Amino acid sequence: MVALMKISVMDTSASPAFAVETIGLTKRYPLSWKRKIVLALDHLDLQIRPGEVFGLLGPNGSGKSTTLKLLLGLAIPSEGEARIFGLPPDSLEARARVGFLPENPYFYAFLTGDETLRFYGKLCGVTGAKLEKRIEELIDLVGLQNGRERPLRSYSKGMLQRIGLAQALIHDPDLLFLDEPTAGVDPLGSSQIRDLILRLKKMGKTVVFSSHLLEQVQEVADRVAIFSLGKKALEGSLEAMLVENQSTQINLPAELSAEQQERVRQLLVQAGVGAAEIRFTRPHLSLEQLYLRTIQKAPDANPPTHPRP
Amino acid sequence: MISSLKRIIAIGRNTLTEAVRQRVLSVLLIFGLVMVACSVFFSKLLIDEQIKFVKDFGCGAIGLFGFAIALLSTAQLIPQELHNRTIYTILAKPVRRVEFLLGKFLGVVLLLSLSVMLMSIAFAGALYWQEWQGIDSTQIGYDQRTPHWQSSPDMVNMYQRDILEIENQVRDPQLIEAILLIFAKLVMTSGIALLISTFATSSIFTIVTTFMIYLIGHMETVARQVWLGRGAETTLYQSGFLGILSLLIPDMNSFTIVDEILAGNRVPWAHTFNLLGYAGVYLIVLLALSEISFRYREL
Ligand SMILES: Nc1ncnc2c1ncn2[C@@H]1O[C@H](COP(=O)(O)OP(=O)(O)O)[C@@H](O)[C@H]1O
Ligand SMILES: [Mg+2]
Repeated sequence: MVALMKISVMDTSASPAFAVETIGLTKRYPLSWKRKIVLALDHLDLQIRPGEVFGLLGPNGSGKSTTLKLLLGLAIPSEGEARIFGLPPDSLEARARVGFLPENPYFYAFLTGDETLRFYGKLCGVTGAKLEKRIEELIDLVGLQNGRERPLRSYSKGMLQRIGLAQALIHDPDLLFLDEPTAGVDPLGSSQIRDLILRLKKMGKTVVFSSHLLEQVQEVADRVAIFSLGKKALEGSLEAMLVENQSTQINLPAELSAEQQERVRQLLVQAGVGAAEIRFTRPHLSLEQLYLRTIQKAPDANPPTHPRP
Repeated sequence: MISSLKRIIAIGRNTLTEAVRQRVLSVLLIFGLVMVACSVFFSKLLIDEQIKFVKDFGCGAIGLFGFAIALLSTAQLIPQELHNRTIYTILAKPVRRVEFLLGKFLGVVLLLSLSVMLMSIAFAGALYWQEWQGIDSTQIGYDQRTPHWQSSPDMVNMYQRDILEIENQVRDPQLIEAILLIFAKLVMTSGIALLISTFATSSIFTIVTTFMIYLIGHMETVARQVWLGRGAETTLYQSGFLGILSLLIPDMNSFTIVDEILAGNRVPWAHTFNLLGYAGVYLIVLLALSEISFRYREL
C-alpha cells in the first residue's frame, strides 16, 4: 500500500519530458453502410518538446486533423495512446493547458467578438476583471478592435481566424494546436498569423500546427512531420533537412559589374573551385514579399466608422 | 462541482442567447395574435362560454406552441453544434461532455420557461379582457332590464354575485396548476428529443421519433385499459409488452388531467405535485441515458 502511494507521488511530481507524446496512435473510422473502415491515422509515434514549434504537413485527408483531434480527446483512439504533458488528452487537467483553433473555425454567429471571448473564458474558469483584462490583451494581440461589438455572423474569414486564435489563448495555455491556421486567409493575414506563432514561441509556448502550404511552414517551424495517407512519412528539423550541403551562397548588398564578376571568378578558381560550377545570379523577391511590402503600408481592414445615411 | 455548474450555466445561457437572437421567440407573436383573435371574434357567445373558450384555447395553444418550440429546438441542439463544429471549440476547453449536454439542455429549458411565461402573460391578458367585458355587459344588462336597480338592495346583491361568479371563473388559481403541468410535459418532450438526438444522425429522425413516442405515450394507458379491462383474457405477452412499454415510454396521458381543470373540476395540488415529481424522475432517467449514449459518440 505504502509502496503504491510512493510510486504515484513520484509519477505526478516528475515533470514530463514532452509536451506531446504519442505511441502507436491509430484511428479507424467505420463506414457502417459499406462495412468498411477508413484508416485515418496509422500507428503514429511523435514526441514534441516544450517550447517547440512543430508543423504537421501533408495533403488533404492525410490525417493531420485526426491527429489533432486525438490529441485533444475529441476523438477516441482505436489503438495506441497519446499524452499531453504526461496527462491523458481527455482529462480536464490536460485541456486546461491546451488551446485549440479548429480547421475553418466557425463560432456562435449571433455573439459579438467580446461576448465570444467572454463565453470561452468562462468555460475555462477565467472570470471577472481578470477575464476583461485578458480580452483587452487578446483583442490587441490578434488585432481585432473593429470586431469587438460586431456579431460573428458579419466577420470575414480572416477575422474568424483571429477570433479563433484569441479564444484558443483565452486561458493562457502552454500548448497550442492550430489546424490550418492560415487556410483561406489573405497573405497579409497569414503573415500576421506567422508572426503571432513566433511571438508565442518567444513566450515559451509549444505550438503544433497543421498546414498544406509549405512556404509558410518553412518560416516558423522548428521541426516538421510529413504525413501521407495516415502515415508519418518523414520527420525532422527543417534546419537539417533543407540545407543543401553541396553549395554555398554569397550575398552582397550591391550589384557586381561584369569586370568585378570576372575578378571574383578568378579568385575562386585560384582557391580551387571549378570554373564551370560558379554562377552569378541576382536574388529575387518572392511575390509574397513584394505583396506584403506594398500592403503593409495601408491600414488594416477598414473599421465600421461611416454613419448610416 | 461549483466550477462544473458554472460551465453548465455558461453553456445554457449561450444556448438561450443564440435562440433568442435567432428570433425563435417571434413565433410567439403568432400566439399573441391567436389569443387576440379568439377573444375578439368570439365575443358573441355567453360570457361563461366565452371564458371557458378562452381558457381552452389558451392552454391548448400554449401546449401546441410550446411543443413546437421544444421539439424543433431540441432536435437542432446537437446537429447544429456538430455541423458548425462549434462543439469542438467547447470540448477542447476543460469541459466534460456531460456538462456540454446538460448545458445545452438547460438552454432549451430556459427557452421553454421564457416562452411559457410570455404566453401565460398574453393568456392572462386575454382572460382579464374577458372579465372586463363580462362585467361591462352584465352592468348593461341590469341597466336595460330595470332602471335605477342600484337603489334595490336585492338587485345589488344579485349583481355582485354575478360579478363574483365571473371573477371566480377568470381568476382560477387552478390555471397555475394547468400551466405547470403543461410546462412539465414540454420539458419531458424535450428530454426525449435530447436522448434521441444523442444517437440520431439527422434532426428529422429525432423529430419524427419523438413525435411517435409522444403519441404512443398518450395511447399507452388507453391500450392498457382496453387489454387489461377484459380481465383474464390478457396474455402474458400483452402484459409483458405493456410493462416494457411503460418503462420505455413516459405516460403522457396522465397530463390530460389539464382537461379536467379546464372543465372546472377540482384537481388537488397533491395530484399535480405527484405528476411533477413523475416528470422530474423521468427526466433524470432521460438525462442519464443521454449521457451514456453521448459519452462515446464519434464527433
Ligand atoms: N468523422 C469521420 N468519419 C469518417 N472518416 C473520417 C472522419 N474524419 C476524418 N475521416 C477520414 O480520415 C482521413 C483523414 O482525415 P483528416 O485527418 O481530416 O485529414 P487532413 O486534416 O490531413 O486533411 C480522411 O480520409 C477522412 O476522410
Ligand atoms: Mg484537416
